[in-house]
Parts: sequence; C-alpha cells; structure tokens
Amino acid sequence: MATGTPHVLAEHRRSPLLDQLFVVDLDVHINDSAADLIPYCELPWRKSLEISASIPQRYLDTPGFAPQFVPWALMSSIDRRTTVTDPLQLREDMDLLGVDVPVLFPDSMLLHALVKPPDFAVAIARAYNRWLIEQWLDRDPSFKGALLAPHHDPVVAAEEIRRYAGHPGVACVYLPSCCVDPLYGHRRYDPLYDAAQECGLPVVLHSVTAINPIFPFNLQAFETLFSAHVFSHTIAMAANAVSMLETGVPVRFPALKIAFTEGGIAWVPWLAMRLDKEYSERRTDVPLLTERPSHYLQQMYFATQPIEEPERLADMATLMGLFDGENNVVFASDWPHHDFDHPDKVLQIPLSDEARAKVMGLNAARLLGLEVPAR
Amino acid sequence: MTTARELGPAAAIAPGEHAVFDLGNRQIGIFNVDGEYYALPNACFHQNGPLCRGLVRGTVMADEDSGWKREWRLDGEVVVCPWHALEFHIKTGRCIAYPRRSLPTYPVTVRDGTLVVEV
Repeated sequence: MATGTPHVLAEHRRSPLLDQLFVVDLDVHINDSAADLIPYCELPWRKSLEISASIPQRYLDTPGFAPQFVPWALMSSIDRRTTVTDPLQLREDMDLLGVDVPVLFPDSMLLHALVKPPDFAVAIARAYNRWLIEQWLDRDPSFKGALLAPHHDPVVAAEEIRRYAGHPGVACVYLPSCCVDPLYGHRRYDPLYDAAQECGLPVVLHSVTAINPIFPFNLQAFETLFSAHVFSHTIAMAANAVSMLETGVPVRFPALKIAFTEGGIAWVPWLAMRLDKEYSERRTDVPLLTERPSHYLQQMYFATQPIEEPERLADMATLMGLFDGENNVVFASDWPHHDFDHPDKVLQIPLSDEARAKVMGLNAARLLGLEVPAR
Repeated sequence: MTTARELGPAAAIAPGEHAVFDLGNRQIGIFNVDGEYYALPNACFHQNGPLCRGLVRGTVMADEDSGWKREWRLDGEVVVCPWHALEFHIKTGRCIAYPRRSLPTYPVTVRDGTLVVEV
C-alpha cells in the first residue's frame, strides 16, 4: 500500500552523527505577516498595517509591508510548505532537522530596509521585536531570536537593543541588509554598534533578493532570478563587510561580534585576498586598520547556507582552510525557505571531528554566548 | 539480484498520478505516465530529499532545435524534488540539470491488475 504524505523532512534518513553534536542554526525563518504585527504596533501606523493585512498575502511581496518589485517569470515548483507560522510547528521541524537551537529571523522583515517612511519602519521594527519575544521566544526556551534593528534610525535601534538584551531568548541583532543605504560601515550606525557591544550582542547581517538602484541591488541588468540571486545575498554581504572595514568598525568596536548569513562562504577568501591586495597600496585610505584586512575579516563569523556544492566536496574543506573557517564558520539551514540546507550536507564536508563540532554548533555558541549542553 | 515486490492494485494510481511505497530497506515512487508505470527511488541525490513526493509536470528547455527559444517539453514526465526543485525525467531517471547523472529506475509490470516492481 502506498504510504500517506508525511512531513517533508521525515523521509530523509539523517546521519546518526547529527544526534551526537550540539547543532545551532544561525538562520531559521518565522513568518511575520502584517496581521501578526497589528496588535504590537502603535498608532497611527497600526492603521497602515491593517491595510497591508487586508491585501491577500503574498510571499515577500506585500505593499507597504514587504515592498518588492517582482519582474521575474515564475517557474519554480517546490511542492511544500515554505513558511513557519507557529512555535510547535517550528520545534517539530527543528527536531526533524536535528537542530538544537534555532536562531529566528523574519520573512517579510527581510525587506525592512526598503520600508518607508522611516517612522513607519521604526514602528514595525518595534512591533516585530515585541511579537518575536511574546509569540516565539517566550514560548520555547530553545528558540533564540535576532532583534530587528531599524537602520532608518540607529538611535532607536540602540534603544531596542538595550531594552531587550537582557531577555534570555535574545541572542543577536539582525541588520537588514537588502537594499540598505548607506552600507553598514557608515558612522551613523555607531550608536547601534555601541549598544550591541555594550550588551554583548553580536550583529548578524542578512539580505534577500530585490531590485533597487542601491548597490549591489541594481540587478535590473539581468534577465532572470537565477542571475539576481547569485548576487543579491553574497555581494550584499561582501559590500557591507568592506564598508565596515573601511570605517574601522572592528577597530572602533573591538568587542563587537559581526556575522554574515545566507551568503554561503566561498566569497570570504575571495574578498580577503582582494582587500589585502588593496591594503598594500592604499593603507592610508584606511588608517584605522593596523592589521591587514583579512585579519579583521577572520574575526567575523560566516554562516554556511546556501553552502556551495562543488563536485569535489573536499574543495569546501580546502576553501575553509583559506580563512580559518574551522573557527568562524557557523551552520545555518535557512529553513523553511526554497534553498534551505539540511545539516547533513554540511556534515558531509570532510573535516576533522573537532572542526565539524565547531562548525555545527560550538562556533555559534561562542558567537552567541550559548551554554553547550553536556552530551 | 532483484526481487519482485507486489505493490497493490495498479488502478489505485491513475494516469498522471504517483505514490510512494515503503519497501522496508528503501522507499520508491511509482508513477503512472500515460498508462505506463515507472519507478524511482524516493531520494534525490542532491541532499537526499523525498523526490517522489514532488510535483509531476513538464520542464523548460532550449537548444539549437528550438532556435534557442524556451520550449515546454516532457509534459507529465518530470518529477520535481520538493526540497530544492531538482528535476528528474521519470522514464529514464535522468537528472535534467545534470544529464550525465541519473537515478536508478526499477522495472514495473502489472500482473492480474497488481503492480509488481523489480528491485
């Protein structure tokens, strides 16, 4: 007899090794609809959310909430749920994936940097943070959350960080990196970094695909989402990393931890080598740096997803060796999105047992200040 | 060495439909494409996703024969992995994106109205 349709993760026979490791996932998405945030948003902007919520929900494409220009012909045909809408569902998903600690990021708020006017963007950032804590972090102590920092007003972002940093579920600060302007090295963000450093919360940059005149999102040059998606995450991470190095963020905020997620990791050695090359000739442009740029880059953290998949998977181990990846690469799945990675894919990279344990959880525990349970 | 396994009434899987069967040591998907039955493993070689739970449809191709224009081909003959959308040709097991790679296929026959797969 044919079997019924089980959970889409249930038929994968995962590696037994996964159950022996402490697994932290630095990118899991919860679905934040406009309707969800209405009760948490102050007037007058609650009225704007009510209008957005009255529009039939579209994924990462809601006027006035998750604003997107979507010119691409639609062809993908993934026949499964790609949202997580309640904490019990998320815990079940995580148990099937073998993830102990998921770090929660939004869906719609991936486009937060595009929201206007700034006062509205700030109001929904505040609403998101309250909703995240009350509806998710307070409901399952295994969940950790990323506070949304509204780039539109870094002073408010700093207030939000100080307000919630003591909450046991708050593990980091999410910097929306899709179409952010100016890039995150700009000194206007100093109050945000000051608060994050003071509170011991790392900042985590996360992008998404959109078209916008802002570099590197001027992706109208391309015909297909295939091309745009190559750049939208990875180059956004690289551009912001360069911006932060350019103004000496890691020098001026030496205790601030910085992480990048959803860009894969192959961009890191490329960027490190380009930066070091420029530094030799143009150190006077960046006099705050007293070491070569790759030194600072290697102090940052890089999440695996979407992990590159070369024909020889051993090439990934070689690549990680180019930037001390054993100590700064952290696992991320991006569940439940279209390009999520199962932890097994990262486990298959031929690393030492020690390096594997670091990448799957111990590096993230150090980044986020998590206690590692005895096994 | 192959073993014949009976999978129940063939009529339960109508043309255009497919179903997954648990054979103990493996799961296979049975597909009815225009009245002919085909079998693939329920495991995509990409990240081991449950391939045979995916949608069956056609796909887009473009080559010299089409004047480099996109064409809809293999309608009803392509299964799309529900994890990451990698496509496979049901009749041959061939991966559309990586045509040098294929999944194994298993012969399926109908004996007295019962589906039998050789695995």
